[in-house]
Amino acid sequence: MSSNEENRIEDGDATQSGDRHVKYLTFVVGKESFGVPVMKVREIVRVLNITPVPNSPTYVKGVVNLRGKIIPILDLRIKLEMGEGVIDKRSCIVVVQLELEGGETGLMGLIVDGMEEVVTLDLKEVEKAPDFGTRLSTDYITGVCKVKGKVKTLLDIDRTVGMDVLSQGVAA
Amino acid sequence: MSEVSEKLEEAISTVDKITMELVFAAPGNDNGLLSINCLAADLGEFVEDLKLPSDLSAALAEGEALVGEVFDGAGVFTEETIGKLNGWATWLKEALEAHRDGRGVPARAVPEAVEAGSEEPEMDLPMAEDAGADTEEPSLTLDIESDGELLVEFINESVEHLQNIELGVLTLEETPDDEDTLNSIFRAFHTFKGGAGFLNLAPIKELAHELESLLDLARQGKLHIEGTVINLILEGGDALKKFTGKISAQLNGEDQGAPIVIPTLELLKGIRCVLANPGSPGACGLSGGGSASDVGEFAEASASDEEPVAGTPEPEKAKKSAGASPQKAAASVKVDTDKLDALVDLVGEVVIAQSLVTLDPSITQLKSENITRNMGQLRRITKELQRVAMSMRMVPISGCFMKMKRLVRDVASKTGKQVEFEVEGEETELDRNIVEAIGDPLVHMVRNSVDHGIEKPEARKSAGKPTRGTLKLSAYHQGGNIVIAIKDDGAGINRERILQKAIERGIVAPDVQLSDKEIYELIFAPGFSTAEAVTEFSGRGVGMDVVRRNISKLRGKIEVQSELGKGSTFFIYLPLTLAIIDGLIVSVGDRRYILPTLSVRESFKPTPEMFCTVQGKGEMIDVRGRLIPMLRLYEYFNHEPDTREATDGIVVVVESGHDARCVLVDRLLGKQEVVIKSLGEAFKSNRGLAGAAILGDGQVGLILDVNSLVRLHETAGIEQPAA
Repeated sequence: MSSNEENRIEDGDATQSGDRHVKYLTFVVGKESFGVPVMKVREIVRVLNITPVPNSPTYVKGVVNLRGKIIPILDLRIKLEMGEGVIDKRSCIVVVQLELEGGETGLMGLIVDGMEEVVTLDLKEVEKAPDFGTRLSTDYITGVCKVKGKVKTLLDIDRTVGMDVLSQGVAA
Repeated sequence: MSEVSEKLEEAISTVDKITMELVFAAPGNDNGLLSINCLAADLGEFVEDLKLPSDLSAALAEGEALVGEVFDGAGVFTEETIGKLNGWATWLKEALEAHRDGRGVPARAVPEAVEAGSEEPEMDLPMAEDAGADTEEPSLTLDIESDGELLVEFINESVEHLQNIELGVLTLEETPDDEDTLNSIFRAFHTFKGGAGFLNLAPIKELAHELESLLDLARQGKLHIEGTVINLILEGGDALKKFTGKISAQLNGEDQGAPIVIPTLELLKGIRCVLANPGSPGACGLSGGGSASDVGEFAEASASDEEPVAGTPEPEKAKKSAGASPQKAAASVKVDTDKLDALVDLVGEVVIAQSLVTLDPSITQLKSENITRNMGQLRRITKELQRVAMSMRMVPISGCFMKMKRLVRDVASKTGKQVEFEVEGEETELDRNIVEAIGDPLVHMVRNSVDHGIEKPEARKSAGKPTRGTLKLSAYHQGGNIVIAIKDDGAGINRERILQKAIERGIVAPDVQLSDKEIYELIFAPGFSTAEAVTEFSGRGVGMDVVRRNISKLRGKIEVQSELGKGSTFFIYLPLTLAIIDGLIVSVGDRRYILPTLSVRESFKPTPEMFCTVQGKGEMIDVRGRLIPMLRLYEYFNHEPDTREATDGIVVVVESGHDARCVLVDRLLGKQEVVIKSLGEAFKSNRGLAGAAILGDGQVGLILDVNSLVRLHETAGIEQPAA
């Protein structure tokens, strides 16, 4: 499995020169640190007025108008099963670009509790997700990495909040 | 050995030598040609000396003639000429030997079918097809790698040409001497031919060439355009269309590299016959009235012609005027539709951004004359910008209507009816996307009208009607919408038959009382059709409900009026543009929702007497005698309302087709034109929501999907078949 995972990282994120250093954007959700590849991040905005969409899963907070585009907003805290949180001035929305079926891309906003930094990770130092039962399915995680002594969990954002996950969740 | 027999032996050995030389002959070059020529000449000289029976003598001389053929044909051998020479030489040798031995001369076999006939002729081969393989349809193989881009251009331009050809022909049917039209069709074929020739598309070039010749004769007054000729031209256009269709498909990756074969020989024969007998073209009738055979396909293909080919951006004229009248040379540009759409979207955003700024409290409280004046200016310019941008997506509906003209003609002729086709308001402009999408439903309804509505000439005569029925398509603006009306003066809708069929099919209960309007609505029910026989065109009962669904998708609606014996009229109401919707803003608690005004019938504050509860069917409201089920919006969306007391809220009656609902909301906030945005993939399965709109203050309002809302429960008295 580990070679599979590592291959996954390489395919998706390795820079053109075959280098195994990838930039990740890290942020705080709840008390933990997470990261997503910078290539997938479109922008970061503060928490705008969210229009709730009825009959959606609890982790779907609604939609926002982002310069004319309607973007669904997810609460990562709820999705990652950390319980509902409070939106304060450090909260922000990370707008990511997801791979959809048919090669198309879609935008989605994720509510996080605070931004950290952009780190360049040496893929060699990324470890497989721990085997013991975490509350997160290992599908969501591409790996775990230690940066300046802190552990950061790298998310496979396509799998975590991919559209199919969403549309399954929305049972009318 | 006598002198004669010596000469005979010489002759035989000369023939042998010719045969040897022929072994080395190959198509496309002239190896051995000169030697064979000399040998054949020698043979010719033996004729005198040998005193052979006449056919043998003739045969000796034939060699020179055969070689002459090769010289005439560009000076190189071809498969054909080699074959002929071989055949001749082989027979000649046998014949001479037989003569020498005193046997009878063997019969001469018909020259063997040339090998080449069975192979696929290459693209470059000039029209050798008709000489050799008479029964073989020419085929076309594309070289997409090297010609790809040019082919795309060719295809794009061909769409226009084909349209012009068809419209022109239909005009010619009525005014056969219209010079302008003759010229325009001639030019169209000519350009087609040029493009095809440039790209080495031999069968297309050939067909276009013959058609061009036909038109040329007509232009010169040497050929009168009448029925047979019209059919030939139409069929020619159809064949060219099929070619371009196949090429288009291959460009998109389907079947790439496969040879394209479209039958044209029959057609070419007909055309050539007319070209040879311009005085009596009628004698060259085509077998089987070919033009009507593909009516269904053709009309479908042409109606969906405008559909963008997947992945290939179709450059389109920014203003497309596909009318039959002589084109005014309006200066125009071809613009990529993607760019156009992007522009319109951005302009929509500018409008909102502009309004956010001008209405922002910090600006309004500045109370500066300059600011106020400039803001006003900004607002005016933005409005104008929006108007112009929207108009770029507008296209006259005439193109769509004109396609129906051909359809009417073909269906009428196939069903033995006589139909006069009229249009009105064809210059009315609609959003390009709507025009594309309305094509299919219109095709279906036009077919229906001609097939089922309009009666056969005898029936009409005995009913005191003119034998020619009339089908009229009209388009006009009404109250912020576009109305398209399809009117026929046929037999009208038979109320009794409809009711009976509906009862038979279980669509309505047997003893239910329905008004005329309600009965007419039944024809839109799925699976419904009163046609006695399923014809090629209609009667399968999958039509009208699909039509209605398609129109609903465009946020439009369709209604019908009819009078038995006099005719029927279908009215299609459509919004002016898909990007903007006229919406009624309502609130439930602190949330705002939008209802398309097209679906809103009325709204009112309910009084206690209006309510009643029907056992097993839930709450209902009596609206002027009609019981309509009630839907409490806060319940459906699971959200705290301002009040749960129905009499404190507002009821909005929405309808979709025959179904209606009384939707209970808290307040009406106003009417507004809003820009629609899709909610995206994420909420695809969320029924009840049709999309989202950006309200004037930049907030998102959710647009309700009236179609799903009204189908939440069974309607009173009318059972819906399981969807």
